[in-house]
Amino acid sequence: MEREAIVSEFYEKLDSRGVTRRDFMKLCGAVAAAAGIAHITATDVAYALEQSVIGAKEGNLYPVIWMEGASCTGCTESFAQIETPDPATVVLELISLNYSETLGAGAGWSFEEAREQTIAAGNYIFIYEGAVLEKWEGQALRVANEPGIEHVTHTAAKANAVVALGSCAVNGGWMAAYPNPAGAIGVQQCLKKHGIETPVVNVPGCPANPEWLEAVLVDVLFLQQLPDLNAEGKPSLLFTQTIHDNCQRRGHFENGEFVYQFGTREEALGYCLYPLGCRGPQTKANCGITRWNNRRSWCVESGGPCIGCTTANPANSNENWVETNTPFLKRHRDLRVGDFRLSPTTIALSVTGLLAAALVIHGFGMKITGRMNGGADFEKVRKWDKRHPDRSIGCYDLSDEECAALEAEAGVAAPAKPVGRTTAAKTGTGTATKTGTTGTTGTRTRAKTAGQDGADAAKKADEESKGGKA
Amino acid sequence: MTRSIIDPVTRIEGHLRIEMEVTNGKVSDAWVSGGCFRGMELVVENRTPEDAVHIVQRICGVCPVSHAQAATIAAEKSYGIEIPNNARILRNILEGAQFLHSHILWFYNLAALDYVNPLNALKADVADAYALAQEAGTSINSDFGLLQARLKRFAENGQLSIFSGNWFESEEGTAYALPPELDLICTSHYIEALSMQARSSEIAGLVGGKMPHVMTCRPGGVAFVPTQQNLGDLWAMVNEVYDWVSTTMVPDTLALAPFYEDALTWGKGCGRYAAWGVFDRDDFDMHNRYLPAGVTDENLNVSDVVESKITEYMGHSWYEGEETHASPYFVTEPEFTGYYQGGTDTVNDRYTWVKAPAYDGKCMETGGLARLLVAYKRKVPFVVEHVDNFLKALGVPGKIEVAQSTLGRTAIRQIETLYVATLMKEWVAELIEAIKGGDSEYFRAPQSNTGAGTGFWEAPRGALYHSEKVENGKIKGYQIIIPSTWNLAPRDAQGIHGPLEQSLIGIPVGDVEMPINALRTVHSYDPCTACAVHVSEPATGKKFQTVTSPWGVK
Repeated sequence: MEREAIVSEFYEKLDSRGVTRRDFMKLCGAVAAAAGIAHITATDVAYALEQSVIGAKEGNLYPVIWMEGASCTGCTESFAQIETPDPATVVLELISLNYSETLGAGAGWSFEEAREQTIAAGNYIFIYEGAVLEKWEGQALRVANEPGIEHVTHTAAKANAVVALGSCAVNGGWMAAYPNPAGAIGVQQCLKKHGIETPVVNVPGCPANPEWLEAVLVDVLFLQQLPDLNAEGKPSLLFTQTIHDNCQRRGHFENGEFVYQFGTREEALGYCLYPLGCRGPQTKANCGITRWNNRRSWCVESGGPCIGCTTANPANSNENWVETNTPFLKRHRDLRVGDFRLSPTTIALSVTGLLAAALVIHGFGMKITGRMNGGADFEKVRKWDKRHPDRSIGCYDLSDEECAALEAEAGVAAPAKPVGRTTAAKTGTGTATKTGTTGTTGTRTRAKTAGQDGADAAKKADEESKGGKA
Repeated sequence: MTRSIIDPVTRIEGHLRIEMEVTNGKVSDAWVSGGCFRGMELVVENRTPEDAVHIVQRICGVCPVSHAQAATIAAEKSYGIEIPNNARILRNILEGAQFLHSHILWFYNLAALDYVNPLNALKADVADAYALAQEAGTSINSDFGLLQARLKRFAENGQLSIFSGNWFESEEGTAYALPPELDLICTSHYIEALSMQARSSEIAGLVGGKMPHVMTCRPGGVAFVPTQQNLGDLWAMVNEVYDWVSTTMVPDTLALAPFYEDALTWGKGCGRYAAWGVFDRDDFDMHNRYLPAGVTDENLNVSDVVESKITEYMGHSWYEGEETHASPYFVTEPEFTGYYQGGTDTVNDRYTWVKAPAYDGKCMETGGLARLLVAYKRKVPFVVEHVDNFLKALGVPGKIEVAQSTLGRTAIRQIETLYVATLMKEWVAELIEAIKGGDSEYFRAPQSNTGAGTGFWEAPRGALYHSEKVENGKIKGYQIIIPSTWNLAPRDAQGIHGPLEQSLIGIPVGDVEMPINALRTVHSYDPCTACAVHVSEPATGKKFQTVTSPWGVK
């Protein structure tokens, strides 16, 4: 009994007289009902006498309160996709998740009581998901008849550490994007305003990758420390390198091989998505390494250009990922000063823009000057390619016959002629597409029909590649 | 007469408060209050429809795919694009994966804890549990003995973790009625379900890059071109999920039902149902979808959906004004005015961030029950066959009206899960056939950047509506009506309760502290409150000048 968070001597006395807790609660209810007392009185009685609803206050499991603020539950959902360890192991064998709106068995007052008792017992981690809303004195978010802000500050004050999970918790996320109708800010900003000095670990992402949370938990549970944080309070191991640094399409970037339009051959070949607005070069996260959903895939692998969802300055909710990165498909963003908006088409803006400009010089610039033609730096043809014409990288304009000839020459068994791998486009101009070779294996890659723009871009790429060869 | 309150309602998405008047052991009045305002429509204003697809997904981390789809359809209608066939199939797979994920998670990991007490499984006889599982015809994939030992270790440690503040002792310990052996079986499926919902999401992750919040659904088609490796992965994962769903979910439901039979007798909502339809066939007709669109009256007569019949009222919500606005001319200004203890101020009784939508002037229930009732009445063969079999197994053959209850609403979704799992296999086969036949088109670029369009679609929890007006590639007016907005609606202008409020009225309350039947009823709707709260701007600019909010909407 000494391990119970709240021990009621009163109950022990009742018990010694043969009265069970249940009998007593029943009596309370009966008295309240007979007297016509409002529910609050009965609840108050129960509050005062209730035994622990969280079980032992200490044990093998690290107590955790996981609160949802103005959230979409996406970070909890994301956590539920974790594989090693799986979520059941986490909540049964690693942490005591005493308060989780999504997974908790409790509800209503007893659920809130679980939070209070966890806070009273102390020595817990507080995970906060979603934004903090300030509008209408915090009434934009109401939980248990109180503004959400009260819950955040009250729970954070006694926590060992706060994990601001997801970009919304870091600085308001999409809710903080113009016009920020609910007054969204991040946890760190909120705690600073209220003078609460509990350390905050910022784990951005929309949602946060569950492996990132796990990395933080491993630090706390196994290594008994907080992770090393960078200047933005984010774990430096996770949020120092850019997406671009670890991107599987990086080779195509270096080779100047880009997708200019969805629905083109280049897209089917898995080229670099940079011209489609990919925010990989300026977005700091290790998605390409960690990957998503049991490491099955990640945004750029599937074909979606990075939209920079980990962009989140915890000190400034205006620098949220939506405001910083829209329009996602363009390399330059709109400039917004108050209600005034400017949509630049040619000029680069802000740090994001400058970085983009630098990369243009690095990528496209080198291509224009001919230094990256066909994938080789400072060489017309790579030495290795010259010696291995059958397996050379960067020949994308061979005809089927040429491919077959090379394959035969290299002793590679030519695959059966694919059926219908070239198709007239259903829209656009009906341009027929080509089958090409890619990679070192000489495997044929299925070509894709292209719309007008795509066909033009492909043609342009072909011409450039030919020109460079000559 | 006393008040019973659940706040926060847990195991849902978002923030929800339920307040009930209890008279003679039954709910006599109810107030459902959505607790969070975020303002999505205002954020996408002046951004591109392509951006909106990414941003609006963030309304909900449980059903982001549905929002992406509805936003994409709205953009495609605005641009006049019909997407390629391969894109249609892949989007069905993407949506289907999310449905499976959502339904599995909802049934086992959210709703089941209202019926299953995992701590009671400690008392189970393991041998009896195996016998019972075989008798019930449900799957045995886990070692019940090992699981029980694991639960024992958990219990001995003493910390309650996710079982903190539980209601297992509700109604003097009688509320949870399963024998310990069935609790053990269902707990094993609770844990397996966590893996299966993750596997379902993994399918969405493969096609969409990551889940939640997918990356490849975009106006014009999909930005995902499957490789042979992808197809193999898809095929294997779809089969794995199907095998688990088909051997587990319906049998578990039938095993649970006899212990909670009374829940078949209460919890009916407004008795009218709306479904916008989901999973396109190649004719792209919303009334011919795999789960077709339709609206029913009180006698379950189905009619086609007419957009102009949708209206919104906010006289009981925290928005200015008491007008009723017709689609698509919704106008709203949020203004918090305090939570009125229901009934204390009947004139200006505003108690929620959720507005009250109506179809043809009346509130509507949406969700799995609505979809299946519409599909049943539209004679979708799979649905007719399995619903009939299910009613027979429940001992009420042919009585479809029984489904309109807390347990019926909870149970029928497993049939939908089985249907979607079956369709997933068909779609993967269809995709492989299409590719084999030489179709390599996944995307069509827009030829215009101005227009207006509406995306009618379904999220796992019901009818979803996105509507937008686009000028020169920028959004000028965006509206969303989300399933739970329908289900969690407050009273309308005539004072008629919203669907969930109607469901709550009349249910037995054996314990005002822990009104478990109310919780069961709320969970039967699978509510998604964060989504439900929204704010709209006029699409047409008709009332543009009247919207002058303090944060500068213009």
